[in-house]
Amino acid sequence: MNCLDLRRAAMIDPRRLDGDAPAHAESCEACRAFLVDVLRLEDQLDEALRVSVADGLKERVMEHAVEAPRLSRRYALAAGVALAAAAGTAMLWRRNDPLALAGIDFVVYEEAQAILDAKPSDPSELQRAADKVGVRLLGQIGELRYVGTCPFGGAIAHHVVLKTAYGKATLLLLPGRMLAARGVAVAHGLEAVVAPAVGGSVAIIADSERNLARIEAILTSA
Amino acid sequence: MLLPGRNPAYEKAVNDHFDDLYRFAYWLCRNRWQAEDLVQEALLRAWRAWPSLREERAAKAWFFTILLREFRRSGPRAARLESGADADGFAVDPDLSSSVDIDRALHELPDQSREALLMQVLGGFTCAEIAGALGTTEGAVMTRLTRARQALRLRLDPPDAKKVHRA
Repeated sequence: MNCLDLRRAAMIDPRRLDGDAPAHAESCEACRAFLVDVLRLEDQLDEALRVSVADGLKERVMEHAVEAPRLSRRYALAAGVALAAAAGTAMLWRRNDPLALAGIDFVVYEEAQAILDAKPSDPSELQRAADKVGVRLLGQIGELRYVGTCPFGGAIAHHVVLKTAYGKATLLLLPGRMLAARGVAVAHGLEAVVAPAVGGSVAIIADSERNLARIEAILTSA
Repeated sequence: MLLPGRNPAYEKAVNDHFDDLYRFAYWLCRNRWQAEDLVQEALLRAWRAWPSLREERAAKAWFFTILLREFRRSGPRAARLESGADADGFAVDPDLSSSVDIDRALHELPDQSREALLMQVLGGFTCAEIAGALGTTEGAVMTRLTRARQALRLRLDPPDAKKVHRA
């Protein structure tokens, strides 16, 4: 390690310098002084950033975070039952699959930002991901309008936005995410299905059941 | 005490990381009220998506990523609130009086550099983890961190002041 290497590493992450850095600093007075300066600034920064957290804040936030969705689910269910009664039609209640529901949340709350933030990736990357998952993206599925990667469910998903004859649809390819069974969800006017594949799974999110079924059929038949 | 129907794993993860998550929110918004709202919104989303989290070990990075996205999504609203807060004089907390220089220096950093620096110092994340959360490359994160520290050094410890101090 030379002086330039040490200074570069110290400016990137002074708390994670590799084993050669202390040895170099021992033998180089200028670098030792530089490192002392950088670590002093780091201590100052660390201390300043650790602002106090108000008493009871954690409990208050947790209460809202956990209770709000439970309440909203109750209201949603009540509204659904009332609507069914008014219409005089029988509704078949389906339990939302958590992963499929997360797919809908992603499209509603995060997709636009993910597209803005991410660098669109190479379509050949997508092809490799599709091969890994075990699906084939045939041309008939629709026009690819965006291909990128994004964090989803604690892993990196390959994110595809399609324009199809029946409207927009989103695919999330999840290599290595093995599922025991297919799951569905309906929320925010969108429908989602997560389907197991040979090397992972696929989430499809669309605004109509017809579009969803068509895309799933094409992926399944390929 | 856990209430019936709650998820102990989720609650433990929130307990473990809440303080750092709140501080990250605070330094993004620079306003306590906004930070509380932001953390609450992020944890609400995390709660809904919790079953999709593959590895609970990754919860901290996952929480930070959700919070950052929520912050960016609410950017225009946050900016309005911030300017209003400054005008009313309650944006800077009393316990931050000794940190005003850091506050100003951080505020002057470009957003991308500030976010990377906050994730590293508060979250303890590696450059690779930060790159994953920010949707960029590890090299880009290294560049942002270097520029952030260069700017902070210039702002907080200018060469001229050092000469005077040492003399």
